Amino acid sequence: MTATQPRHSRRTEILEDRPVNLDGFVEEWPEKGLVAMESDFDPAPSVRVEDARIVELDGRARADFDFMDAFIADHAIDVGTTEASMAVPSDEIARMLINPTVSRQDVLAVTRGLTPAKILDVVKLMNVVEIMQGMQKMRARRTPANQGHSTSARDNPLQVAVDAAEGALRGFAELETTLGVLRYAPLVAIALQIGAQVGRGGVLTQCALEEATELELGMRGITAYAETISIYGTESVFVDGDDTPWSKSFLASAYASRGIKMRFTSGTGSEVQMGNAEGKSMLYLEIRCVLMAKGAGVQGLQNGSISCIGVPGAMPGGIRAVAAENLVASMVDLECASGNDQSFSHSAMRRTARMMPQLLPGTDFVCSGYSGVPNADNMFAGSNFDTDDYDDWNTIQRDLQVDGGLRHIREDEILQVRNKAARALQALFAELDLPRITDEEVEAATYANGSEDYPERDVLEDLKGAQSVMDSGITGLDLVTALERTGFHDVAENLLTVLRQRVSGDLLQTSAILTDDFVPLSAINDANDYAGPGTGYRLQGERWEQLKKLRHVTSAENPETEVS
Amino acid sequence: MTAPAAVRTLTLKEIGPAQRASRPDEVVVAVSPAFADTFTRTIVDVPHAEVIRQVLAGIEEQGVTARMVKVWDTADLAAIAHTGARLSGSGISIGLLSRGTTMIHQRDLPRLSNLELFPQSPLLDAEVFRRIGSNAAQYAKGESPAPVPTRNDQMARPRWQAKAALLHLKEFECIVAGRRPVEVEPVISRA
Repeated sequence: MTATQPRHSRRTEILEDRPVNLDGFVEEWPEKGLVAMESDFDPAPSVRVEDARIVELDGRARADFDFMDAFIADHAIDVGTTEASMAVPSDEIARMLINPTVSRQDVLAVTRGLTPAKILDVVKLMNVVEIMQGMQKMRARRTPANQGHSTSARDNPLQVAVDAAEGALRGFAELETTLGVLRYAPLVAIALQIGAQVGRGGVLTQCALEEATELELGMRGITAYAETISIYGTESVFVDGDDTPWSKSFLASAYASRGIKMRFTSGTGSEVQMGNAEGKSMLYLEIRCVLMAKGAGVQGLQNGSISCIGVPGAMPGGIRAVAAENLVASMVDLECASGNDQSFSHSAMRRTARMMPQLLPGTDFVCSGYSGVPNADNMFAGSNFDTDDYDDWNTIQRDLQVDGGLRHIREDEILQVRNKAARALQALFAELDLPRITDEEVEAATYANGSEDYPERDVLEDLKGAQSVMDSGITGLDLVTALERTGFHDVAENLLTVLRQRVSGDLLQTSAILTDDFVPLSAINDANDYAGPGTGYRLQGERWEQLKKLRHVTSAENPETEVS
Repeated sequence: MTAPAAVRTLTLKEIGPAQRASRPDEVVVAVSPAFADTFTRTIVDVPHAEVIRQVLAGIEEQGVTARMVKVWDTADLAAIAHTGARLSGSGISIGLLSRGTTMIHQRDLPRLSNLELFPQSPLLDAEVFRRIGSNAAQYAKGESPAPVPTRNDQMARPRWQAKAALLHLKEFECIVAGRRPVEVEPVISRA
């Protein structure tokens, strides 16, 4: 090569090397649905009711409905109020969303009659600050919370248990796991459940798997909720996955029949990613998902693009659309577990900016999966935040006086809880004749960061043990008994109390979580009552004192020392 | 990045309708509608000429012959690979999408199953393509090779997910509905 390279400015070279330029960005292509929320190809809002039945939805007559239209028209929209609600101008509904003097209930009275295109028409009028203002009022539960991931690159159950324990102590109200090797699932799901109950009694756990096994683990009481039941905004993508809105609703009712908390999952970008967006914008299709979830009668939805975040993330206005989809879930009275749960950007600034529309107003779960393990161990393919970010997260909460659901914990407390979780799992495995956990492993787990810090396990023996859990029909109650027999009375008590919740069915209420005292906190007994400045959830009192603590804070009394 | 000293280009010369062969020692390489046509490189700019050169070399070094077909009526990788497998004398095929996503398939498996799948197109380079060719040839010989190690990069999503969606949409536009698979001869030339 003899040609000389053109000379670049020094500044260009420095900017080229910034992490943000490792992210991918793509132009819009609205005809194919590669557009966030502003598309000329989305339908115009309309509704027509005859004989207490919707016969026209967003410009389409009933004879031309696809199964999404039919399901939404028949199950998600209040046929009694829809014509009146649809007659309210979109800008008026948008103003109701941000006006603190209009109550949440008054907004719901209108939104339950809206069609997908009308909802899109409303949120398209809102900028991100208005979307946040709407979310602050429309979030179902008054008290915000957070959810964590606990997984292991080696599917090591011990790692999952101790990181769950630490995560629970740090504040996650829900913890979920998934696997590299699916056959490991029973051991890892048990480990997650035990670890969580050591960290903080009342934390709910789930294991993301193929649907039949996931349901079986739930019914056996080895998991406490389910979340990864995916739904889509077009009929063609649904059919590709051999599913329909009715099959998903049937699955939802199977969980409900056992008092198991359950929410669906959807998000912008999934349809275009699978090449079947049918020429509609990402947000329009996501609104169809939100209403499908509503129609199925599930209490909540995990949305916020989720595993497709790279698609809206690459589009103009994409993160605004993601904030809007969270708001839409909340404004139709669903629990919203609001994304921020997948690797999103190489840029720390972009990662932080992406979560502001959820952290600042507060959502039911700000992250539907903050990685409670290093991202290298995250078997959900990495989260937007991981264990390396704990101190940053805690500092941002303190700076802005917002509650993101976590708190700083001293190292001695962390070591204590990790050690106890490791010992509890060790004792439980021994009691149930599962593969041995050595003292050396317990020691490693107490001080570890990631999976490489643990002695390697005998994977084949573990897989045999996992199979034996499935074959012998071990239930949550067997785990309680084994913990009690091995002297972990308090952990047994915690687990039993969580299991008992499914009898009362309280966890089926919208946005239900359990407090430290095992009291269900949901939209029923902790309804969001935001009505302007000074009202609603305020970070104050004991909780604010907790959040003032960081790793290094100079003592005012004695500036030569630190408090933590 | 400097350009490689010699840039190879690939053209697929149409021979005729793809037939099912009876020779048991062959692997069919089935490519998608836009392959070496609308597109010339994978999502991470591996030239299609290099992809095919490596895949064919991997097959040949196992003493197995290769045959190429172009599938026109779908951009679904499982369908492309399964079409190839049903045409293959050994029942083994390699399916390739233009962006690089690859699958080793076998005639007797259900369409949505496979022998090996390489879903993360941005992580497939020349070396991986050669090993895929080699493994497919070993399956054709009735052997049970260790699967080609899969790579994982959690930051592939922010960098490549949207471009992958765009490439998928473009590939879709190249579909010719109803057109039967065509046997093609790969012609690799140096520019």
